[in-house]
Amino acid sequence: MIIAVQFWSYFADFAGCNKTEIEIENGTTLAKLHERVCEQFPKLAEAKNSTLKAVGLNYQDDDFVLCDGDEVSFFPPVQGG
Amino acid sequence: MKTELTISIDAIDEAALVKRREMGDGMGAVVCFSGVVRGREGDTSITAIDYEAHEEMACHQFRLIFDAIEQRWPVDSVRVVHRLGLVPVNEPSLWVEVTAPHRAEAFAACQFLIEEMKQKVPIWKKPLPA
Repeated sequence: MIIAVQFWSYFADFAGCNKTEIEIENGTTLAKLHERVCEQFPKLAEAKNSTLKAVGLNYQDDDFVLCDGDEVSFFPPVQGG
Repeated sequence: MKTELTISIDAIDEAALVKRREMGDGMGAVVCFSGVVRGREGDTSITAIDYEAHEEMACHQFRLIFDAIEQRWPVDSVRVVHRLGLVPVNEPSLWVEVTAPHRAEAFAACQFLIEEMKQKVPIWKKPLPA
């Protein structure tokens, strides 16, 4: 299945794009997708430990199992205010 | 609990916001907070901060924070304005107002909202050096 991935803030600069699509197998977790993303966009791997991950509009844990149609966002720590 | 959330590139008009305030009967406390862009970011002088947001998620996360406030304190209303785009030094990027029966819950809810926002609401800033 195809998962839509978005990058926000300077992660878009690191990736060289603000969105992409990645094909994954059924049962793929958010952590596994993150590994795939870091392989595809090596600069994002440098910020791997501080990366925040959301599926749709909610934060999710690494063991979240992705479903067809999910939209995943990766971004750095937030800085509102 | 009444809530109002604005995320916009428009300048924050604090006087207009205060003028529109509606206090419920029995409300004895209003806490307002303005977050203002400082002229320095670390050791660097800046002229402005450029704010970016994942707006749909930011609105959702603010709503979750409002829900948490409603469950914890007898707050009557919460209004939040967060500005996006270029915000010059000395201008507010954030405005929060909480009304409640007493000051303790108004202060606590306001502080909680800001702390949670800084952990969860997807807004980022890019300082512009002078």
